[in-house]
Amino acid sequence: MTEPLLSIQDLRTYFHTSAGVARSVDGVSFDVGAGEMLGIVGESGCGKSVTALSILRLIQPPGRIEPGSHIIFEGKDLATVSEEDIRGVRGNRISMIFQEPMSALNPVFNVGDQVAEVARIHEGLSKKAAFARAVETLALTGIPAPAERAKEYPHQLSGGMRQRVLIAMALMMKPALIIADEPTTALDVTIQAQILDLLRDLQSRFNTSVLMITHDLGVIAETTSRVIVMYAGEVVEESPVEGLFAAAHHPYTEGLMHAMPQIGHERDRLNVIPGTVPAPTDWPHGCRFRDRCPYSWELCGRDHPPLYQIGVGHVSRCHLAIEPERRNHPHPPLVVQQGVAVA
Amino acid sequence: MKRTTVWSRPSTRVAVVTLAIFFLGALFAPVVAPYNPTAQPDIVALKDLPPSVAHPFGTDPYSRDVLSRVVYGARLSMGIGFLATLISVTLGVAYGAMSGLAGGFVDAVMMRVLDAFMAIPRLLLLIALLAAWHSLPITTLILFLGFTGWFSLSRIVRGQVLALKESEFVMAARAIGANRGRIVVTHLLPNLYSVIVVAATLGFAHVIVLEAGLSYLGIGVPQPLASWGNIIQDGAENVSGLWWLSLFPGLALLAAVIALNTLGERIRETFQSTR
Repeated sequence: MTEPLLSIQDLRTYFHTSAGVARSVDGVSFDVGAGEMLGIVGESGCGKSVTALSILRLIQPPGRIEPGSHIIFEGKDLATVSEEDIRGVRGNRISMIFQEPMSALNPVFNVGDQVAEVARIHEGLSKKAAFARAVETLALTGIPAPAERAKEYPHQLSGGMRQRVLIAMALMMKPALIIADEPTTALDVTIQAQILDLLRDLQSRFNTSVLMITHDLGVIAETTSRVIVMYAGEVVEESPVEGLFAAAHHPYTEGLMHAMPQIGHERDRLNVIPGTVPAPTDWPHGCRFRDRCPYSWELCGRDHPPLYQIGVGHVSRCHLAIEPERRNHPHPPLVVQQGVAVA
Repeated sequence: MKRTTVWSRPSTRVAVVTLAIFFLGALFAPVVAPYNPTAQPDIVALKDLPPSVAHPFGTDPYSRDVLSRVVYGARLSMGIGFLATLISVTLGVAYGAMSGLAGGFVDAVMMRVLDAFMAIPRLLLLIALLAAWHSLPITTLILFLGFTGWFSLSRIVRGQVLALKESEFVMAARAIGANRGRIVVTHLLPNLYSVIVVAATLGFAHVIVLEAGLSYLGIGVPQPLASWGNIIQDGAENVSGLWWLSLFPGLALLAAVIALNTLGERIRETFQSTR
């Protein structure tokens, strides 16, 4: 890969609460190439949304990006640039699509004005010129009769239409990178597919990089070329998407795959990964997945695993890399043995 | 959308028409009122006359025309109410928004100060303060009514700002590069309009009643100026004999307050249904 568009190095975002320091993102590093569609997957509380918000420095106190974190984008370190500089990047060079399109839109403005606001902020366009641009951009997202829709209020539009409006907002300045935080989670399955198609289409048309954040491996498989699996504030596996589906290395990734319902494999109940993500104020020593893992042994409780190189562009934060034969002897995870897991 | 729903209720239209009549009457009082409201043309022959064609609302013990006094009373009562509400809404929104935006320690201190203000009964405070004047200047009355009327609104505004501040669309506004000022002006304040309009309408009605009460007690609008409260007071000593003196300003007061409260309620309902 040539010079990456975005390079995140040792990102640590901690929340300094009265209950302790929540290390929600704890030393995450990855690159996003120009025109690349990269996925981040993980369950709730793994730090993927906080990572997304950290890139645009949208973390609010008591959250803080810790010193030593670097977010290199177009020659600048977004972790340390001035407030004014970061505002110049937001919505302009890097834009964001939120999960819940209804609450991400201001209820008292028509959607055209909201899309137009982006150009008014970054290009100082007049209200009228910006609105005209907004209508053009809404048309790009496949909204029928965009000129009329633009005058409507969020509550008058359907969920899919509202998500298209958010996509139009994100596209307004033709950014280099779009961060999509669970863009289809709040939508029906059929609309979901349409929105993913749209994102893919726009990405190839404008050569925009997309960082797709989701808990849905299906979305990852459909859209991205490379995937990062996050667990407990860390990257636990990174792989080209085919490699991951063919040969997931980390037991957590394996668990996520098994948890996906599959057509043709009828079962009474869905597979689950026993237990839950530990509290971010109190990550376990050693491997953070150890208690939920069917392969863990003494080493996992002692040494925090580094990212082992597994294959080309494929790394995994699991000691199985040095003792692969242990994969043949699974045992009930510790949470099950202790009776903590909910059956 | 919004217009049609608020207008489709007949009660809204009745309220608006009533208020329009009052406002126009107040505005054009010199044209509408048949007589000078303070003139005492014949204190012997024309005093205490019951309603007639010449004096539809009768005359008072000083031979003044009650209709003219009620019309001018509308001017003063509604004018005082309007200006006092303007002051209290401005103060309430400013204080509440500041407190909510600041958050944390500043917010806590500002809210405790507000608690202290709210602990004082408004009417008693006003009586205590206003009793210090022999003949109260109207401006002073307006200021006192305005300065004592913003507490509950500021608390509502502060709550709304706290909630809005954390809302996803404010986060989305930050994500498109909006600065703090822009977020406050284009995203927070417009979302407060409904709350402000409703509070202002209801507060307006409340101030009118309050002023009438103070004037009735003789510490509000001083004679010979006419306000609804002090006209009612003129007839209070002899309600059975001079019923027209208290009835007509009383009805005017009642109509204005009901109209304002109805309008406030309708606006509230409309805003709630469009969310």
